[in-house]
Amino acid sequence: MTKGKAVDGKKSEVLQGTLDLMVLKTLHALGPQHGFGIARRIEQLSEDVLKLNEGTVYTSLVRLLQRGWIASDWGTSENNRKARFYSITKRGLKQLARETEDWERISGVIGRVLRLEGER
Amino acid sequence: MNSGLRTFAAKLRGLFAGQKDEMDDEIRSHLRLLTERFIANGSSPKDAAAAARRQFGNAALLEEDRREQQTFRPMENLWRDVRYGARQLRRNPLFATIAVLTLALGIGANTAVFTLLDQLVLRLLPVRDPARLVMIWPAGPNLGNTEGPRPVSYPMYQDFQRKAEALESVICQYDAAESVTIDGSTERLNTEAVSGNYFEALGVAPALGRVFSPEMDDRVYRGHPVVVLSHRFWAERFGGDPRVLGKKILVNNYPMEIVGVSAAGFAGLDPSSSPHIRIPILMLPVLPTDGESLVDRRAQWLHVFARVKPGYTVQAARASLQPLFHQILEEELQEPALSKVSPYDRAQFLKRTLEVETAANGYSDLRQQYSTALMVLMGMAGLILLIACSNVAGLLISRAAARQKEIAVRLAIGAGRRTLIRSLLVESLLLSVAGAALGLAMSVVATRGLLAMLPREGTLLMLHAQPDARILLFGVGVALATGLLFGLAPALQGTRVDVWSSLKDAAGSLSGGRNSARLRRILVTAQVALSFLLLAGAGLFAKTLISLKSTGTGLQDLGSLVTFQVDPRGPHYSVTQIRDFYANTLEAIRALPGVKSAALSVVPLLHGFEWNGNVAVEGHQAKDGEDMNAANNVISPGYFLTMGIPLVAGRDFDDRDRFDGGDPSLKPSVVIVNRKFAERFFGKQSPIGRHIGNSKPGAKLTAEIVGEVENALYDGPRQAVRPQVYYAQYEAPVPLAAVFYVRTTTDAGALFPVVRGVVAKLDPTLPVFEMKTVETQMDEVLSTERLIASLSVVFGALATVLAALGLYGVMAFAVAKRTKEIGLRVALGAPRRSVLWLVLREVLLLLGAGLLVGVPCAYAFSRYVSSQLFGVAPTDLSVCAAAVLVLGVVAAVSGFVPARRATAIDPLTALRYE
Repeated sequence: MTKGKAVDGKKSEVLQGTLDLMVLKTLHALGPQHGFGIARRIEQLSEDVLKLNEGTVYTSLVRLLQRGWIASDWGTSENNRKARFYSITKRGLKQLARETEDWERISGVIGRVLRLEGER
Repeated sequence: MNSGLRTFAAKLRGLFAGQKDEMDDEIRSHLRLLTERFIANGSSPKDAAAAARRQFGNAALLEEDRREQQTFRPMENLWRDVRYGARQLRRNPLFATIAVLTLALGIGANTAVFTLLDQLVLRLLPVRDPARLVMIWPAGPNLGNTEGPRPVSYPMYQDFQRKAEALESVICQYDAAESVTIDGSTERLNTEAVSGNYFEALGVAPALGRVFSPEMDDRVYRGHPVVVLSHRFWAERFGGDPRVLGKKILVNNYPMEIVGVSAAGFAGLDPSSSPHIRIPILMLPVLPTDGESLVDRRAQWLHVFARVKPGYTVQAARASLQPLFHQILEEELQEPALSKVSPYDRAQFLKRTLEVETAANGYSDLRQQYSTALMVLMGMAGLILLIACSNVAGLLISRAAARQKEIAVRLAIGAGRRTLIRSLLVESLLLSVAGAALGLAMSVVATRGLLAMLPREGTLLMLHAQPDARILLFGVGVALATGLLFGLAPALQGTRVDVWSSLKDAAGSLSGGRNSARLRRILVTAQVALSFLLLAGAGLFAKTLISLKSTGTGLQDLGSLVTFQVDPRGPHYSVTQIRDFYANTLEAIRALPGVKSAALSVVPLLHGFEWNGNVAVEGHQAKDGEDMNAANNVISPGYFLTMGIPLVAGRDFDDRDRFDGGDPSLKPSVVIVNRKFAERFFGKQSPIGRHIGNSKPGAKLTAEIVGEVENALYDGPRQAVRPQVYYAQYEAPVPLAAVFYVRTTTDAGALFPVVRGVVAKLDPTLPVFEMKTVETQMDEVLSTERLIASLSVVFGALATVLAALGLYGVMAFAVAKRTKEIGLRVALGAPRRSVLWLVLREVLLLLGAGLLVGVPCAYAFSRYVSSQLFGVAPTDLSVCAAAVLVLGVVAAVSGFVPARRATAIDPLTALRYE
């Protein structure tokens, strides 16, 4: 469960389950990243639309690790600090494809439903 | 699903790895980086740190989340529930004790019956690849001699061994009990004669020395005087001494050498009994059987087992064997022995089929006899367990009602309903596990009791009462299943609480919901129905036993009729010597004080044992397929006097009938028939002076009927009286076994040692066995019926007591709940009688509902037990009525106590109640 809380009305809560998808996609697009990097990337892309408690990224990472969709390794960060790098696995790629497809299908449906209401 | 498994594995790894620390490091460095970023954007270090924490989110909550993900939270919760449950049960010891005892009775009964069922029926043999093992036997008329169930002739066995394509390692075996002399003392030992490939085929290795092999022990007729000991006998008789190898022992006085000991744990192909020693089948002449048996196709006496070849199912093997079998039958018809059979017999003979059945769990006469009975008992035990479960469920429901406040409080302070259900279920499981533990202990005692009811004279019974891993597993399984069974409904019911009204209700009120009362009523109805099933069953089986026992045996005073056996047959005794030995024994016994008369017969009476044959009768033209079967016996003079069978007409055998040498087939012989035989073939005419013969085509009617005796039972009461023919012992040209019967005027038990002394004086090497009164013998032949009858009566009583408890519980609960209402009625002037009726009416309604379910169920089940019944219809009305009566009385009594309490309610107190 993601425990993101909207502090002010302008930011949307991160939908349950979508954080995992975003983390997977980030790792897929950018290659191996550490937790801080992932948080930065999501922040950057969401253009302050989404309110993200960055700690939940780690919950997501643990979950993805346990399912075997990502792997982790110790490496050195840009500023020469020892950091844990996460990378997407083969199984993770498959899962990403599956979830992306699901997401697009659902968002398509929701989009159509919303348009329908607009025509009335 | 798969990812769930991976998660589980990751959690397991997490238990051992220091994952938590690494993650803490990561989070710390993340916060540091965020802080640095805020500082770079111009915040003060203090503000920056706060902003970083804000952006990161609630670290403590996160930590909790992560703990849930990385550890086994449910496990920790489970442990908490167990401790909580145990505390709850300790707080109410009476409830816990009753529940555990109830369950222990139910589980104990099941485990006890299952212990026997498992050992006798379910367990696979401890041999290599038991699944491919089959037993093979021809069904249908053999037109010759057959011995025991599923017999095969030795030549046919050899045919299978050589020609059966679907089979490999075809083995044969023959069970016998023989006199074996070891170091000068003689005992009766279970002896198994086996084919040379027996051990090889079963994959049984020697524990010492060697076992038989086809090359060394299956070549020369009478040429392999070697013995292999069973491991258990070796350990018990020789203390596991390796020096037994090469030792000479006497089997029926024939010297044979011990060459090995078979592997530990291997008992043989019969799971219920085990041979002490094994000899090669070609040593058959050592046993007191007809040596011709090895070449005679008309003599069926062996058991044949085999392995089906890989790629064949049992069914496929059976089908593929039929052509071979029919080819064998055609060949047998060409033999002189069958050259003169009637066309009808010939057709019947060719209709024979070859049966092939899986023998993965071996073959046991005992199993054939008891398995249906055990299945029936297992079913009854299952019903008991259901009643016990519904009883405990009833208890739990009233407990849940009493605990409503506690549950409401727990719900109010935020416990989830699932959590509560889980913790209630854990409580139930604690009860059922405790019940199972106690039940297992009780079952060991009960199983010993059951084993004591099986006759075990002379056999090394392999069944035992000690629970092993399988039984423990069964116990655990039953415990879990029952825990869920009786716990689930009350838990679901009990947590459906209206928190608000429960909490505001005044203390001391019993506001058990209408639902829980209804659930309890349903449970009690089920209990009544189940109890009816068990009581009706108990009634049927008890009546069966009674009618079997009261079947007139035709014999007088079984308690003072002593029987025993002694078997002098073997290489050391000639036929004449055997005859003399029998005569001397009878003479010596007749001279004993307190002995009125003594006689012998060849077939032991009431033993489930039979020797029958088809007869041809003077003046009677047998139709095709007409049953011409008569039960045979060979007796000495004085037999009828000893047994107390009155002579109807003619005379008993005497010295006139003594065989005095020459060709026995030339001498006209004499027979005595029973009344049933006489009436069957001669109607109202006297049979005396008429002739009979065997039914072989062309055989002469050589035997003259010289006497007719009253009817008497033969193999047992179930088989009733059969047409019988008695032959004179003097005429027998071959050595026959003998069962002695002694009529005593003094105490039968006191006679036992005296008789042993008499036999020992004549030949000290011959053991006396099967010594008992005929009354005991009658009990033993009825052991299945006794087992079922006594157990089902116990089960029925148990069920009734449990149902009574259930009824009482429901009614007490109902009265307690309606105290105020009843008080009001009394205050308004309702007579006591109407209050009494108010309560009793509900009892009767429950009883009626239970019977409404139970009676049709009993009717539906009755056909499954009909094979176990005798002298009583499965739908016997008196049994049904008796069961209803018992339940009615029990229901009235268990309803009356709460009803009385209701009438005694003081309206003043009742109205102040709450």
